[in-house]
Amino acid sequence: MEEWKPNPPVKPHKKRSWYLAWKYKLTNQRALRKLCQTGAVLFLLVTVIVNIKLILDTRRAAYEEEEESAQDYDDEMLNVEVPRHPVNNKKVLDVEVYSSRSKVYVAVDGTTVLEDEAREQGRGIHVIVLNQATGHVMAKRVFDTYSPHEDEAMVLFLNMVARGRILIFTIKDEGSFHLKETAKNVLKSLGSQVAPFLSWRDMWTFVGKKGGEVYGEKHAKSPALSTWGDPVLLKTEVHLTSVEDAECHWPDTELNRRRKRFCSKVEGYGSVCSCKDPTPIEFNPDPLKDNKVFDVPVAVIAGNRPNYLYRMLRSLLSAQGVNPQMITVFIDGYYEEPMDVVELFGLSGIQHTPISIKNARVSQHYKASLTATFNLFPDAKFAVVLEEDLDISVDFFRVNSFLSFLSQSIHLLEEDESLYCISAWNDQGYEHTAEDPSLLYRVETMPGLGWVLRKSLYKDELEPKWPTPEKLWDWDMWMRMPEQRKGRECIIPDISRSYHFGIVGLNMNGYFHEAYFKKHKFNTVPNVQLKNVESLRKDNYETEIHRLLGEAEVLDHSKNPCEDSFVPDTEGRVYVMFIRMEQEADFTTWTQLAKCLHIWDLDVRGNHKGLWRLFRKKNHFLVVGVPASPYSSKKPSSVTPIYMEPPAKEEGAVAVPAVAAAEQT
Amino acid sequence: MQKINRNVALALLSLTSLVFLLFQLCYYKFYLSQKNGATFSKVRGSQSGQDSTRWQVVRKFLGLISSHNIPVYLIDPLILRLVDKDIEHIRSSTDGPSPECKYFCAPRDFTTFALLDKTWKHDVGLFRTAEKMGFQWLKIINKDPRLDGMDDLSGMEIPLHYIFKLASHAIHLVVFYERSGNFLWHGPLRLKQHMDRKFVPFRKLHFGRYPGAYEKPELLLVSIDDLKVQIPKNPSSFLEEMSHSRFLECRYREARAFFQLYPDDASVDAVEFRKKAKSLLHLAALTLNNLGVKFWLSSGTCLGWYRQCNVIPHSKDVDLGIFIRDYKADIIPAFQKAGLPLKHKFGKVEDSLELSFQGEDVKLDIFFFYEEDDHIWNGGTQAKSGKKFKYLFPKFTLCWTEFVELKIHVPCETLQYVEANYGPEWKVPVKTWDWKTSPFNVQDNGVWPIDEWDNVIQIY
Repeated sequence: MEEWKPNPPVKPHKKRSWYLAWKYKLTNQRALRKLCQTGAVLFLLVTVIVNIKLILDTRRAAYEEEEESAQDYDDEMLNVEVPRHPVNNKKVLDVEVYSSRSKVYVAVDGTTVLEDEAREQGRGIHVIVLNQATGHVMAKRVFDTYSPHEDEAMVLFLNMVARGRILIFTIKDEGSFHLKETAKNVLKSLGSQVAPFLSWRDMWTFVGKKGGEVYGEKHAKSPALSTWGDPVLLKTEVHLTSVEDAECHWPDTELNRRRKRFCSKVEGYGSVCSCKDPTPIEFNPDPLKDNKVFDVPVAVIAGNRPNYLYRMLRSLLSAQGVNPQMITVFIDGYYEEPMDVVELFGLSGIQHTPISIKNARVSQHYKASLTATFNLFPDAKFAVVLEEDLDISVDFFRVNSFLSFLSQSIHLLEEDESLYCISAWNDQGYEHTAEDPSLLYRVETMPGLGWVLRKSLYKDELEPKWPTPEKLWDWDMWMRMPEQRKGRECIIPDISRSYHFGIVGLNMNGYFHEAYFKKHKFNTVPNVQLKNVESLRKDNYETEIHRLLGEAEVLDHSKNPCEDSFVPDTEGRVYVMFIRMEQEADFTTWTQLAKCLHIWDLDVRGNHKGLWRLFRKKNHFLVVGVPASPYSSKKPSSVTPIYMEPPAKEEGAVAVPAVAAAEQT
Repeated sequence: MQKINRNVALALLSLTSLVFLLFQLCYYKFYLSQKNGATFSKVRGSQSGQDSTRWQVVRKFLGLISSHNIPVYLIDPLILRLVDKDIEHIRSSTDGPSPECKYFCAPRDFTTFALLDKTWKHDVGLFRTAEKMGFQWLKIINKDPRLDGMDDLSGMEIPLHYIFKLASHAIHLVVFYERSGNFLWHGPLRLKQHMDRKFVPFRKLHFGRYPGAYEKPELLLVSIDDLKVQIPKNPSSFLEEMSHSRFLECRYREARAFFQLYPDDASVDAVEFRKKAKSLLHLAALTLNNLGVKFWLSSGTCLGWYRQCNVIPHSKDVDLGIFIRDYKADIIPAFQKAGLPLKHKFGKVEDSLELSFQGEDVKLDIFFFYEEDDHIWNGGTQAKSGKKFKYLFPKFTLCWTEFVELKIHVPCETLQYVEANYGPEWKVPVKTWDWKTSPFNVQDNGVWPIDEWDNVIQIY
């Protein structure tokens, strides 16, 4: 094609004479001229076609190259992402709220966001918080204000909700019996006309903006004590505000971006979302000197209790010596809110599809979490296991630094196969029975509740035979079984380094919590130097116990051990008492003693070869089971071991419901 | 009139043709320049033999990285090859300015660095600083393979690759993760739908076509071309490692499907056998790695990995394969030293060699593989009759995988390997297995001559 450049009629006007001559020549040679013309036309056509083809070719080549350049690297999955929520420019939300004896529901723009018609459940005031800009549900709560104290929880919650949020209230069954004046006033201040006069079995719905307008309220009075008010259905419209108005104007930092994402999604976390002076979400606790737990992974086992998780993570991240990079939160189920909490703190979270039911589900969740932890941190020799409803004592990690002291001399630990775990929890460490933050024990039970697991124990022994999903076992009960524990012991502190604050849980209800957990002593002294670390080794510990028993004063066995006067009013002394214990599994007297000392008595905890160690009146108090314990030889022959009767029937009847209730919830 | 018209028409047509020609030229030129742009101005590079842009970009990148305290190391194979040639000189030379730019100035599209995931905090500030410095960056994330083997866990996706582009040069940052088995793993580079396919010429990347497995390298801080960088202490062994670093993930999803069909045996015996097989495999791997002998999972052990990502509890032994060219006479004493006495030895180095060692209740079988032009085979011998058998396999290469907390080789073409051995029905567990008749690929191979029996059939 290049040769076609000097095409004759290129520049007609410049070479006029040549052109004219050529024209003249052509006119004289018609046939030739015609031929030329046809030739030119043909040529032009060819040029055009060739040109077009060239363009197409280069295009295709370029396109192919581009395709080719990346096709090896294309993700096999075609992730066509369909936006889940179509952009909604609508400024008005239609809200429907229904209140009746047996059913409540709330629908926002035709989408049901709350529906509860389960029997014997969900009684009280249901509260829903909507984002005033997007209309998304930010929180859903139910306060059983038929029962005491629930109204206080509701007031607390309502106070935490940011101004401007849309609040929706509806009553199921009964919500006024324990709705006290304070709570009624709070509802009144939100704009409710009816709340102050809400009474027995009334039905009530209310939609309003916190600190702003009221969108609607409906109420149906109960005509008589034995009947309920008529169902009420409230239909109203809510005007949305702009996103800017709904957000706080924090300085633009990475942390505040996380905060913003969190606060525009969920409600009920209080000051973390306050516009003015929000609480920090990054904590820089002092580093621990010579920190041996810095590289130990921490697995936080969580369910759907985001408020607990929030509190737990705050506490964990404030602990001295913590390494946020080693923390992984394992959420049992695809719950959004716990994941939001995890992301707020910039931690990594993993969701677990629930397998099986009840206890087996928890147990499978534990297994998956532990396996994943050791997969994610293949270098780790240990893992710290925490649950979402634990508060971490200021120096929780101190206990583990002791473990890592052992870990540095792996050979020693592997020689001392007699260790099973380290736990931050002392089952018997109540206000009146624990005293010394620097003291550690060896016990034959595994308390859990914040503990350290050795990888080899998990990988070689526990993981391969972990209870399968169809076995409805408690994982911790299973771990305590002799087949697993094989006589090994756990190390625990005298004063617990974690605190159990969960009330809502699989094995927890209010009564149970009150009775067995609330009075636990919780260490608040930072930087405790543990004193007897070396003596915790298997053989050293025996020496230590013998020394203690040798030093101990034998108490007056003629007195009633339940009486306060059983232990003299001294301080810092060591006392010993002997109880009857026919063989290793005979805990009759111990259980009675535990009951009257108001310590854990649901099963036997905290023993070491038939010996229990605790504090009474600031004195170290040893209990030896005779003759089962090898320490029985320390008993002076004049002393008769104390025997306490098993419970009379009516006493047993009191204890049983507590256990049953604990298992039900 | 007609004449004029015709002339005018002719002139017009010619003009169009000219326009087309010009257009064509322009287009061609544009196309060329675009191509050149993509290959980063070869002309300039070849003229000076130097590309200071690249040096500048690398310098800026190293500055960015060190300002955020992120320890990266150089794994660019082209540079490491050059570095390897004068490693002695580089090691000994002190910080004086180097006379010429030898390494970072060769014109290339990429310079590749590695980052150990656990050594940095996923600090978002890095990217903001990078943007301020003029870098464009691309992050490639994908599923975390360390959670892949787990039932129904969904974690966050993890970053596998970063690409920082400035001017005509790009830095490819490969993120390495620690895996169980004490090795480093990097992921494949796969672009998602919405990603810019022309961000850089991805085909030219040295890392990312496949996932890879590496030992943890020892690092050395050197100063090359006036830039301080960390490099693997032994570049040549790193390059050697890189050439066959391809990693295969176990097929966890298929394994789960398998266990749905055939529930796993969780009996005490099965747990015990698995535990013993695992520790035997660890011991064997340690022994052979110390000798520098390359080996792979073979037969039943390979099937266990491929089909169920675990040891098959009813298999009685652990099977390994070794190419006969890698045979060393030290193998037997080394195993004996490791506490695994020789149980029997069949065949000879020239033909059908097979060794068996006795572990604690579990037997370790090592088959030696002989390479032919179009296939690979190993042999078997029946002790009482002296009969020889031959097992044929299609040719294969070796890939790394993770198995019972070990970094270990398997044939890359695993399916062909397993199918050759077990036939198309390999997915169905078989409890009764006869090594002489059951394998799909067994062939009679004559009988050992009687006078050789003492040598080729040794039982202890």
